[in-house]
Amino acid sequence: MNTASAILDRVFPRERLRTWFLERVRRRRGEVSVPFELEYRNIFVVPTSFGFAFGLMLMFMALGGLNFNNNMALLLVFIFGVIAQLTTVLAYRNLVGITIQEIHAEPVFAGEHAVFRVFLGNAEIRPRLTIMGGYRKLQDCVDVAEQSANQLELKQLGSRRGWLDMEPFKLETRYPLGLFRAWAWFFPRARCLIYPQPAVKPPPLPQSGGGTGDRARKGEGDQVHGIRQYRVGDPMKRVAWRSSARHDQLYTREMETPRDESCELDWHALSGTPTEQRLSILTAWILIADHKQVPYSLVLPNISLPAALGDRHREQCLEQLALFT
Amino acid sequence: MLWVIFTITIALIPQALSMPVQLLPLIVLPIAWRIVAELRGWRPMPLLVRIAATAMTVFFLVMTYGGLFGRRAAVSLLTVMLALKLLETFKVRDARIVASLSLFLCATQFLFSQGLFMLVYAASVMLGALVALTLLQRRDAFTGKGTVPPSNHGFLQELGYSTKLVAMAAPAALVLFMLFPRWGGPMWGVPESALDAKTGLSDSMAPGDIQNLFMDDSPAFRVEFDSPIPMIRDLYWRGPVFWNFDGRAWSGAYYSRNVPAETLPDITPDSIRYRVQMEPTERHWMFALDYPAITPNRSRVTIDFQLLTRPITRLRSYDMVSNPDFVDMPELKIILRTSALKLPEGYNPRTLELVQEWRDEADSDSEFIDRILRWFNTEEFSYTLNPPLLSQHTVDEFLFDTRKGFCEHYASAFTVMMRMAGIPARIVTGYMGGYHTGSYLLVRQSDAHAWSEVWLEGRGWVRVDPTAAVAPGRIESGAMNALSSRRYMFDYEWIRSLKNNFDLLQRGWNEWVIAFGLEQQSRLFQPFGMERLDSTKLVVILVIAITLIAALMSPLLLRLRISSNRDAAAKLWDTFRRKLDKAGINTSAAMTPEELGQAATTVKPGEAEEIGRISALYRQIRYAPDAPSLESLRKAVRGFRAARQGR
Repeated sequence: MNTASAILDRVFPRERLRTWFLERVRRRRGEVSVPFELEYRNIFVVPTSFGFAFGLMLMFMALGGLNFNNNMALLLVFIFGVIAQLTTVLAYRNLVGITIQEIHAEPVFAGEHAVFRVFLGNAEIRPRLTIMGGYRKLQDCVDVAEQSANQLELKQLGSRRGWLDMEPFKLETRYPLGLFRAWAWFFPRARCLIYPQPAVKPPPLPQSGGGTGDRARKGEGDQVHGIRQYRVGDPMKRVAWRSSARHDQLYTREMETPRDESCELDWHALSGTPTEQRLSILTAWILIADHKQVPYSLVLPNISLPAALGDRHREQCLEQLALFT
Repeated sequence: MLWVIFTITIALIPQALSMPVQLLPLIVLPIAWRIVAELRGWRPMPLLVRIAATAMTVFFLVMTYGGLFGRRAAVSLLTVMLALKLLETFKVRDARIVASLSLFLCATQFLFSQGLFMLVYAASVMLGALVALTLLQRRDAFTGKGTVPPSNHGFLQELGYSTKLVAMAAPAALVLFMLFPRWGGPMWGVPESALDAKTGLSDSMAPGDIQNLFMDDSPAFRVEFDSPIPMIRDLYWRGPVFWNFDGRAWSGAYYSRNVPAETLPDITPDSIRYRVQMEPTERHWMFALDYPAITPNRSRVTIDFQLLTRPITRLRSYDMVSNPDFVDMPELKIILRTSALKLPEGYNPRTLELVQEWRDEADSDSEFIDRILRWFNTEEFSYTLNPPLLSQHTVDEFLFDTRKGFCEHYASAFTVMMRMAGIPARIVTGYMGGYHTGSYLLVRQSDAHAWSEVWLEGRGWVRVDPTAAVAPGRIESGAMNALSSRRYMFDYEWIRSLKNNFDLLQRGWNEWVIAFGLEQQSRLFQPFGMERLDSTKLVVILVIAITLIAALMSPLLLRLRISSNRDAAAKLWDTFRRKLDKAGINTSAAMTPEELGQAATTVKPGEAEEIGRISALYRQIRYAPDAPSLESLRKAVRGFRAARQGR
């Protein structure tokens, strides 16, 4: 921060003022639960910096017009002055009555941005144009057509694992001329699950642990088990082109996962490393195992999940790691 | 972005037209470059080029205007800088500045002209700026997303929306206009060179000056008479008076310009009372009939009855009383006599010879004057718009060789002859006659005229119009009819009458908008019994009026629909649903047409057929490959009347 803005900040501590303001609003209104419809008392209308500059220009024009008694110039000033005033109402009108139907966010890993999707509904028969949203800075902008809905995507950095509460955010519109902004602040009760950050260079997957059965699992995996006749639906990359060319018939390579590869991801196996790093390594392992399609089980001090594969299993495991205390 | 360019271009037009031609490229080139850049997707000009262009431009301007002071030069600077600004206008922020300053530029143009055409100009700049700002707002909002989704509005809708904004703003703006307290006088000075050199009578007269004015149909002033209107041939509107002759041009005298009139005429019952609304001239003269009996505010009457005031830079109205029977200066002071007889030595020898011969033959001054006028009348003198050029001995050449001239030739020659004969004489310029539109008299620049005044013992200064001897028609019915040929192409009678009608509009505009000031404002509520309004009262009324308007407008505003882009079929379907709602059938937007039809039929078996038909039509329009026309659905929906439930 350079000196000028430092001095400005001393005189006018924007950040503190904003925090204070938000705290006041929060205390008065409390957190909102969706669906929530914007009412008149949620909405504030203030001039934008361009609006200020424009107003200043109008003032100069008015002074000149008055001085030279130039009525056409005055008329011009008055028309634009009134239009500017009208736009406050139009901006307000553009925002009022919008419903926040739902806020939803998919889990992400720590260090990534959580994307909160704010679903805006518009039940009225006029479109809402250029509705912007964001926390401090505006991030996204959408039009919500009449009697339809649209979603704003608000990103928020998930720095630590666990639940990330959505920060208070605002909806803002500068419609139609950009002279005034109407905004409304929200204190949502939405949150996003942040998984631990996967370790960059995790130790190799532990090999120990019981398999799921006697037979190797066919189908997936990275070792060729044999070839069989092509069946509709087999992936192209699995087709054994050389054999097919020889026999004038399509063959598919059958893959298998070696039996003993099913692994147990054990918290206790990592003794000696700090908690957070352990969680990171476990996260990385889960991702690797999931990628290699190795069934994995997770053992934590307070809970253990049996070996399995699939999206649901992965999410459950990651959630356990994210919320580990 | 094209809208911004369009707006600024429109805003630049009047200024560009009034700038010297060599400066035009400074405006045209940046605009052209920017348009091409927009279409081709070029990058902004490098900084160095922009700085160089700016420096060069300022240099050119200083060269042309000799400095950057004076209103014209300052506005030119603003104009050119705005045009140059386009070179770097690629971001929303810059574009907004340009669009806003276009408005500012537009307002500065009103300093130079406030005619009706400026209204069209202002309206286009205003709408252009509004549309530009709307689109810029959109662009700004979507900046983070990279692409701006096409706005729902097309070109015409945007324009319509902006027009709607202006229309909604109009009532409050008008109230503000009428009630916003005005200042009596300027807070800071109005430089004398505020306007461009306006056409009009100037402070000197050379052959050809008035003839140039004759080509100009623009109004000089308008007159409303309270007393009966005098005959056209008596309407001599007195302006600059000239005493000094240098052989070619006439100019005013210091003495006559600065010494006030000794006595003003009395106001008699026969005096002519009228009100003059004068267009700005940038000059000191106000015009009145002979002889002004009163002096309007901030004006004075000189010894030769010129009515002088500060340079008239804006429309000015004044009441006037003239006494035509006044005897001007029964005694001629010696200093005036000398300057009314002075002639440069060695000019016009032939005329001098003729004058001396006739002077000796004449018994009295008036007989001599009559003889000269008769001579003008009977000899081959003609009144023409295209007189040949004269060289050194202007009067000689005119009287004996060319014999073709305009009023200033005759007035000049006649005055010179008078002085040669020892009769004090001077030249008066002004306007002659006017066109009566029914409610007022319109005097145009083309009515400019020059005549002579001679001083006769016992009668004082007497007006003699030598042009009347040559072309009586000029005096009887106006300059236009005195000429046999058209002044220029398209100089037809009907165009002139069109111009006259246009002037009627212009005058209304002048009266109600441009001339509206402190005076008119304070009398605004006279009909309601409030005699004079001071600014406090005005503000109170203003606040009340604005509050009223706001109270009336707000509900309207809150309900007003932004033009919807929904397709026609969906709108018709909505109408149909509303009709069903009114009839008491609960529908919801989520229902398919089929469901809705069924729901409606169960409640209203009576209209089942009709409801079924409409929902089928809608479905067909939506989904069938060979859809029935929209018109059929429209008819069906319009015709649908559901009986109210509960009977």
